[in-house]
Amino acid sequence: MTATWQKCIRLKEPLLTKPFYVFAGLAAVALLLGLFRELTGLGYVTGLNDGYSWGLFKNWNVTALTALGSGGYAVAVMAWIFNERKFHPILRTAVLTSLLGYGTGMLALGVDVGRPWNFIHMNNPRNWNPHSVLLEVAVCMTAYALLALDMENMPPFLERIYRGSDPQKSARALKFFNFMQKTFPFGIALAFVLPSMHQSSLGSLMYLAGNRVNTLWQTPRLPLLYLLMAYILGFACVLLVLLLSSYAWDLGRDSVILGKLASVMSWMTLVWLAIQFIDLGYRGVVGQLLIFNRYSVCFLTETILLLIPAIALRSASVRATAGSLFRMTFLLTLGGLLYRFTPTTIAFNPLGDYRYFPSVAEILMSIGFTSIAVVIFLFAVKKFAILPASAGKIAAEAAMPPFDTL
Amino acid sequence: MDVKRRDIIKALFGGSAVAALATSVGVVPTAKASEAEAVTPLPEAVGLMYDATKCIGCRACMPACQNENGLTPDTGSTGGLYQQPETLNSSTKNLIKLYTAPDGHERSFMKQQCMHCVDPACVSGCPMEALHKEPLGVVGWNPSLCIGCRYCQIACPFNIPKFEWHKVNPKIVKCELCRHTVGKTASQPACTRVCPTHAVIYGKRSELLAEAHRRIAERPGFYFEDRVYGEIEGGGTQCLVLSHVDYSNLGLPKLDRESAPSQVRRSTNFIYRGFLTPIVAYGGIVAIMRNRWKDHLEHVEKEKQPESPSQENRA
Repeated sequence: MTATWQKCIRLKEPLLTKPFYVFAGLAAVALLLGLFRELTGLGYVTGLNDGYSWGLFKNWNVTALTALGSGGYAVAVMAWIFNERKFHPILRTAVLTSLLGYGTGMLALGVDVGRPWNFIHMNNPRNWNPHSVLLEVAVCMTAYALLALDMENMPPFLERIYRGSDPQKSARALKFFNFMQKTFPFGIALAFVLPSMHQSSLGSLMYLAGNRVNTLWQTPRLPLLYLLMAYILGFACVLLVLLLSSYAWDLGRDSVILGKLASVMSWMTLVWLAIQFIDLGYRGVVGQLLIFNRYSVCFLTETILLLIPAIALRSASVRATAGSLFRMTFLLTLGGLLYRFTPTTIAFNPLGDYRYFPSVAEILMSIGFTSIAVVIFLFAVKKFAILPASAGKIAAEAAMPPFDTL
Repeated sequence: MDVKRRDIIKALFGGSAVAALATSVGVVPTAKASEAEAVTPLPEAVGLMYDATKCIGCRACMPACQNENGLTPDTGSTGGLYQQPETLNSSTKNLIKLYTAPDGHERSFMKQQCMHCVDPACVSGCPMEALHKEPLGVVGWNPSLCIGCRYCQIACPFNIPKFEWHKVNPKIVKCELCRHTVGKTASQPACTRVCPTHAVIYGKRSELLAEAHRRIAERPGFYFEDRVYGEIEGGGTQCLVLSHVDYSNLGLPKLDRESAPSQVRRSTNFIYRGFLTPIVAYGGIVAIMRNRWKDHLEHVEKEKQPESPSQENRA
C-alpha cells in the first residue's frame, strides 16, 4: 500500500510482544556474558588470539555496524545540505538507528578492550597521541554519539513530556526545546563533520597494518572507500528499517521517499565500485582477482553482492515494489558489511600459524549487542513519535501536535 | 544570504571527501611530503644485532629473559616439564626458532623478539602513548596508559606484541630491551649477557650497523643478498639481523623503505594538519545550516497556519 509520509507518530501497539521477549532474552544473555568476561578475561569467552587480536566485536559490531548506523548522517545530509525536504519525516527513524548502531558498537568496544579502567586517562588531552588514527576514531565516535546524536534524538523525548498531563513539566519541556532549537544548526553541523572524520579514519586504521592486509583491499584509498560505504550502508539501513516497520505496523509505503533513497544508494554504490576498480587497476593488482584463492573469491563475492543490487535498483519498477526493493537492499547490505568486515579478518594475514573463528559465546554476545538495539528500537517507536505516517493515520491519532520542527 | 549548491558541496566535502579524493588520486602527496614525514634514528639509539650464523641454538637467552623480566616459563607443550614455547606469547618475549628449508639442506636459527623500529607502527597507532619511544629509542610500554585495545597487535608488521588473554588485568607483553635494568643494575640486556657465542650483541645502532657491514665485507656472498635486515626495512629497525638464508623465511617480512606510519601520516596529515580542514568544514556547514534552519522554521509555520491557527508557537 502506498502512502505519503508526512509526520511522525507514536505506535499505539503493545510493547511486550513475542519478538520483544526474544530480543530481550538475547540481549540479557549478551550482558551476562559481558559481565563474565569483565570478571575473567577475554580469552575465556572469545576466539581471539595473538594473531587475530581483533574479531567480531571490533570488526563486526564497531567497524561494520557503525557503517550501518550512519543512516542518521546520510539521510540528514540529504535532508539538510541538499535540501531534500521530503526526507524530513524519516529523519527521526534515521537518527534513532544511528544512535542505536553507535551505542551498541561502543558497548561492544567497552567489552572488547582489555583495560577499560584506563579510559579515564583519555580525559586528559596531554595523554593523547596526536598521530594515532585510533585516538581520532575513539574521540570522534564518542563525541558524535554523546553530543550530536543525543541532540538529534532529543525532540521525540521532549515532545512526549510536553504532551504529558503535568502542565509544569510540559512548560519546562517547551522552554528547553525552544532553547535547544537555537543550538540545532551547530549541533547538526557537528553531526556532519564528526562522522565524515571517523568513518574515513576507520579505513586509515587498516592502512597502518600495511601488507598484513591483503593487497586487494589494502590501498591509500581505504579512507575514501570506507566513508562512501558508510553513506551507502546508512541509506540501506534506513531503507530496511522503514520497509520492515511499514510491513510490521501497517504504515504504508511512501514510494517517493523510499525510491529516492534507493536511487541515491544505488548510484553511490556504482560510483564506489568504479573507484574501487580504478584503484585496483591503478595499483596493478587486477590480476589477483583471477587467482581464485580465498581472497579473490571473497573480493568477488563482495563485488557481486554490491553490483547486482546496484544495477537492479536503477530500474524504477524494482524500486517501486516492496519485495524486490527489500531483497535488493538486503543483498547490497550484505556486500557492504562484508567489505567493512573483511580487511581486519578474512583479508588479514598475521605472520605465523594463527586461526580465528569466533567462539559461540562471542557470537552470542555480538548478536546480543545488536538485540539491545532492536529492543530499544521496539520500545522507542511505541513510546515516542519516531516512525513516519501518512496524513490519514496522523489524523486518526487526534492528539496534540508534536514538536514537528525535527 | 543565498547559498549556492556549489558552495554546499564544497563546504560539505571540504573536510573529507574532496581531500581524501585529492590525496587518493595522487594529486597532493609528493616526494617532498614523504621526506618530511620520515623519521630518522636517534643518534644515541641502541639495539641488538643477531647474527644467525653464529647462533648455536642453545636457547640460554630464553630463561635469562624470563628471569630478568619475571615471566613464568611456558611449559604447556611439554606437559609442564620444560620451557618449550611454540610462538612468542604472553610469557615469552624472546624465542629462538629453527628454520629448515623444505629440501632440508638450508637451516638457520632466528631470534624472534621486538625489533624496536626506528618509526614503530605500534607507537604510531597507540591512542594514548602507552607504547612510546624511550630516550635511547627503545619501544617501552606504560601500563597506566594502555586501554588494551590491541591495535599494536594489528599494526606491528613483525607480529610481536602479545596480550594476556586469560587475565582480568591483561598486559601487553613484548621485549623492552630490559629497560628496567640496563643502565641501572646491568650494562646490557639479559640475552646478550648470557649468549656464549656472542651471536647477539648489544650496542649503539650506528656501531652495530658498522659491525654488520664489516662482517658482510669480510665474507662477500655469505650473508643473504649481502645485506643486514633492519637497515632500511620499514624505515629501519634498531634490532638488526644477519643470516645466510632469505630473511622472509625467518619471519622478517619484505617491507617498504618508507615506514607504514609515515605512509599513514602522509595520507592523513594533509587533511588533519592543524585540524584546519575539519574546522573550516564545520564553519561552512554551520553557515549553511543556519540558513536551512530559518527556512525550515518558516516552512513549519506555514504548514501549521491553515489547520491549527490557535496552537501555541515555538521558536
